Amino acid sequence: MQIMHTTDITLTINEQTHTLAVKPNDTLLEVVRDYLDLTGSKEGCGEGVCGSCTVLLDGHPVRACLTLALEADGSDVTTVEGLADGDTLSVLQQSFIDHGAVQCGFCTPGMLMSARALLNDNPSPDREAVRKSLSGNICRCTGYAKIVDAVEHAARPESGCPDCHNGETGGDHD
Amino acid sequence: MRLPQFTYHSPDTLEGVLALLDEHRDQAGVLAGGTDLLVRMKHRLAAPKVLVSLKHLDTLSYIKETSGMVSIGAKTPIIDVIQSDRVRQQAPALVEACERIGAVSIQHYRGTIGGNILQDNRCIHYNQSQFHRSGRQPCHKDGGKICYARDEADRCNSTCQSDGATALMALDAHLVLNSIRGERRVALDAFYSTDGIHPFDMQPDELLTRIDVPVVPEAVSAYARLSYRSAIDYPIVCAGVRLVPDPDDAGCIGSARIVVGAMGRSPLFLSKVSQSLTGIRFDNSTAFEQAGKDAMNAAAAFAAHNAGAALTYRQAMVEKMVGRVLSKAAAQVSIRKER
Amino acid sequence: MTDYTLIGKRMPRVDSRAKVMGKARYTADLKLPGMLVGKILRSPHAHAKIVNIDTSRARALPGVKAVVTGADTEGVKWGVFAYTRDQQFIQTEKVRYIGDEVAGVAAVDEETALAALDLIEVEYEVLPAVFDPMTAMTTDAEPIHAEFPNNINIHVNIDTGSVDENFANAYYIREDTFTAPEESYFHGEPYAVAARFDYDDCLEIWMPNGGPHMKSKPLSNAFKIPLHKVKVKKITIGGAFGGRSEICPADYICALLAKKTGSPVKIVFTREENTIATRQGHAMITTHKTGVDKEGRVLARETTCYMDGGAYSSTGPIATSVPFLSMEQAYRMGSVRYNGYRIYTNKPIRGMIRVHGRGFACGLDTQLDMIAEHLGIDPVEMRLRNSRQPGEFTSTGSRVCSCAMDETIKKASAAAGWSEKFGKLPPFHGIGIGTNSVQTGFPMGIRGGSQSFIKFNEDGEATVMSGVVDNGQGNENMLVQIAAEELGLLPEDIHLVSADTETTSSDPGSYSQVSTFVGGHAVKNAAARCRKKLFDVAAKILKTDSDKLTAKNRMIYVTDDPEKSVSIKKTVRVALLNFTSVNAEGGYWPRVDMKREWVSNPYGQMCEAFSFGTTVIEVKVDPDTGQVTVLNAVACQDVGKALNPLVLEGQFEGSVAMGGQGGMLTEYHDWREGRCLNPTMLEYKVPLVCDMPEITDIIVESVYPENPMGPYGAKEAGMSIAMSAAQAYAGAVSNAIGVYMDSFPLTPDKIVAAIREKGQA
Repeated sequence: MQIMHTTDITLTINEQTHTLAVKPNDTLLEVVRDYLDLTGSKEGCGEGVCGSCTVLLDGHPVRACLTLALEADGSDVTTVEGLADGDTLSVLQQSFIDHGAVQCGFCTPGMLMSARALLNDNPSPDREAVRKSLSGNICRCTGYAKIVDAVEHAARPESGCPDCHNGETGGDHD
Repeated sequence: MRLPQFTYHSPDTLEGVLALLDEHRDQAGVLAGGTDLLVRMKHRLAAPKVLVSLKHLDTLSYIKETSGMVSIGAKTPIIDVIQSDRVRQQAPALVEACERIGAVSIQHYRGTIGGNILQDNRCIHYNQSQFHRSGRQPCHKDGGKICYARDEADRCNSTCQSDGATALMALDAHLVLNSIRGERRVALDAFYSTDGIHPFDMQPDELLTRIDVPVVPEAVSAYARLSYRSAIDYPIVCAGVRLVPDPDDAGCIGSARIVVGAMGRSPLFLSKVSQSLTGIRFDNSTAFEQAGKDAMNAAAAFAAHNAGAALTYRQAMVEKMVGRVLSKAAAQVSIRKER
Repeated sequence: MTDYTLIGKRMPRVDSRAKVMGKARYTADLKLPGMLVGKILRSPHAHAKIVNIDTSRARALPGVKAVVTGADTEGVKWGVFAYTRDQQFIQTEKVRYIGDEVAGVAAVDEETALAALDLIEVEYEVLPAVFDPMTAMTTDAEPIHAEFPNNINIHVNIDTGSVDENFANAYYIREDTFTAPEESYFHGEPYAVAARFDYDDCLEIWMPNGGPHMKSKPLSNAFKIPLHKVKVKKITIGGAFGGRSEICPADYICALLAKKTGSPVKIVFTREENTIATRQGHAMITTHKTGVDKEGRVLARETTCYMDGGAYSSTGPIATSVPFLSMEQAYRMGSVRYNGYRIYTNKPIRGMIRVHGRGFACGLDTQLDMIAEHLGIDPVEMRLRNSRQPGEFTSTGSRVCSCAMDETIKKASAAAGWSEKFGKLPPFHGIGIGTNSVQTGFPMGIRGGSQSFIKFNEDGEATVMSGVVDNGQGNENMLVQIAAEELGLLPEDIHLVSADTETTSSDPGSYSQVSTFVGGHAVKNAAARCRKKLFDVAAKILKTDSDKLTAKNRMIYVTDDPEKSVSIKKTVRVALLNFTSVNAEGGYWPRVDMKREWVSNPYGQMCEAFSFGTTVIEVKVDPDTGQVTVLNAVACQDVGKALNPLVLEGQFEGSVAMGGQGGMLTEYHDWREGRCLNPTMLEYKVPLVCDMPEITDIIVESVYPENPMGPYGAKEAGMSIAMSAAQAYAGAVSNAIGVYMDSFPLTPDKIVAAIREKGQA
């Protein structure tokens, strides 16, 4: 078994900069989960299909399980742990809770990151745009309906929806 | 799933990349977005000792138009192609193909157009984990002597399932490849080896740097693909077409390029079926239906049962996809007339 | 109508916050000091004798801390039932499917563990294998299990009424065979186990599970340690869907490695392992013979079903029975004969799955549609003529109390516009209906009941202890919601200790959606006892009688004079000062026929309540490609009492996706000689967001007046729609193309072929 040399990289994760010694075959997912104990991003398949490992890399949604840590050297990474402001949830996260969009929760971090990327780009997407942005995230529990509601209504609360709290409870920042 | 071990380089310049490819040749893998290569490495289908990353080669990411050509750098992310007005204007088939690649959060930001063209051929029997493959004889592509997709086959029947390559071949694209030995230009038509194991006629020291799509005034193009789900999946069958009106009669097809993908070891440019459309009017839907049938007859033999969908179904769908793509392209002519 | 504070409200789940913050810990997220990485060596052969295993090179690899094989076990065969003991946790003599456990390693990191697996040398003598039940029953080859000749694992026989006589009197009889290959759960979370033995030689173990108490007993037996030393710990779980119920060899192997190394060990499955080395759904060949009278009422039915069970029994008796039971609950069938055969094959193990027998159920409903067409009866009317009514008995002798099946049929079809659409849609548009029923629990012997303990803290807040497990469906929230309602507290005042075999009492687990009915009921009973004790104390403070009090919003007040009140906090403190306990326990045991057994005595009261549901689906089929677009989906279920409509809707929608969209259109496994060709999420097509239609959810309640069975009358709500959705999708597609489909799922190639055949006929 050859001993692999490590390389120092700089990663800014959720606005905190880290210098880490990583191996060439460490993925970004392994680094955030194993080196930094940010276990919110999940490995659901390891092959880039399920979307549970979705993080933002320089603002773009990518599969952390298919991104080498070395490729992310010098980049800004946002994981699900970076969405809240301390204990204050983002409007998006609160919307997921309020709309019942979280069941087993395993796909939730990936869904939130894909949605975050969409809302950063398009603050007021229609339902079709929301669905498209989540097309690469697999959920087995919810049938997706309430996840789409949560993202759509995070941007634009709907008066007919019994679960939109219109910012009355919880999260007050994006 | 753990990647195998390798050494990693991310040169700052094209010259640096080419020097490494020259040094390591077969032992080197080129890392662009990684959405194809890294998956295959996790399955131990590929285990390059050296990864040469294009991380710093932003000079290979561009879309520009010069003298009758839309030139796209090989490292251009899929999302840039989709969002390019220029490409949408001049080569709509390529935009349509790119929109259907995988899913937004997998390929569209990390994936590159060059990577999509160079994605390895696929087969449901080959693209499996090491564990899956461990209990049976290796297939041709895996270093053995069997084909699981087609009994008794003495060669590999893996399939090119690239959406981008199918559309680009219909658009008569050319590729530019660089090595320390220089630069060469090759028509996408002529780029394929017909060997499922090494599908591309490409030397191990070469790097794909640019794709040139000819701008043909008045040409229309379209792409269609079939898959079970709305995203993520590779195409079961796909088709791209470019139709150029007759310069003397804009209502007639002057020349056609019909390409069927996800059937053979490469995208299949169907020259006879394409020629049969010369002189046909754009509103001749009967001729398009016939072309679909002819395309099916021409392409069917190339397919093997390797894509997780019934083979006869895939073959039959060639007809429908070609018919659809012809109608789609022809519709652009009417839209243009109305403008 | 009782006015509840929390029950019946759309309450956001208490476990959601940790999940949206990425703080919820699943098994693979656990890190324990000194933890080693475990990996399992699996058989690459479908059927083979183990001739020899040499682990010396693996053990010699630096960084490897332990290697275990069958030789490190006692070779005892385990089974869910005493009569299905056929599985060793690590095989000693032979392997029976590709994936069967042969060895385990624990090493300092993943790369070392994987390298160690490669260094274990196993010599196999390959044996002939069988891959389908019909061949398996008649083969001359060595049986997969010596004790089960002809590879027949389970035979369930049910015979009621006078079947032959009623067939003789039937006006019209049809016999049709329906087939469906196996499908898989594809939980979001791949299986994982973490284990360690603590300083007291207690086993602490974490894994996604459908019931921790189901896991602790076999571990206690296997390691010969008493149950109080087996601590199956609470952990966030990423889905179960029926596939994580019983003990898994990986659980044992992980614990064994932990024992041998003296360190914690964690094994994380790949997605492929989750597919082939946990459980799958059974492939089935089902023949229904149904005789009806002139009005379409079923007089007699005979059903034979051959199920591909895979290499080991698992919950075979249950899986062989439930497809039948669901239909006998949903529909009246006084004279019915059922023969269900579960057959071993050299394929991954099959078990219980949320869509219990899609081919079986879709076949039965499709046949009803065929009969309806022959008799000139509308399919909805056909359902109404045969539907279960309250107060009736099922053919195996369960009394059905609350039942609003007809209401679900009528509401679903009305919402879907059935009468305007059926028979009046454009070509290649179709509408279909499916109805189903799910039992809320089944007799589980000593593990049939649940007990809860509730303790108060001096700040007036409470800790609720319950063995109920949450797989993601919302059971934790349900317990908190019930406890808060009964105690008069707010949800945030309740801390839940659950699904931990060290601290919580035995509970059946989440099988057959029994968590609310039994587990929730136990909490309700415990909370009611606490409330009584609180009222006794508060009555003295308020100088009144305890039966004149109400608890709400952290206060106890005189019902008719709310100004006279005392806080719960103060009441608790007064109690403590007076050496009075307000803590309490409560339990619930369903009144079922304890003598009912799946195989030996499949008669008697199965459970106390059944859910009933109807799904109506409208589709458009592309005749060129066979692709199906769902235009409308209506899911309507009788849930008894809707404790939380927000959660229920989520269950309905997930059910439509799993049972209908996936289960009927795209999900199936492809095989080549026992090797699964599509074990990953790329090639096994679980629906994506853009594949899904918009879904209308209709909740129906039916509380049986004299005796609401479940807590507040609640029944199951996680499975019935999954099944009726499958049935409705099948019916809709058949209706769209004018061909009754008998081979599921309805992939585009089958649809195109059916259209073509019809055109040629």
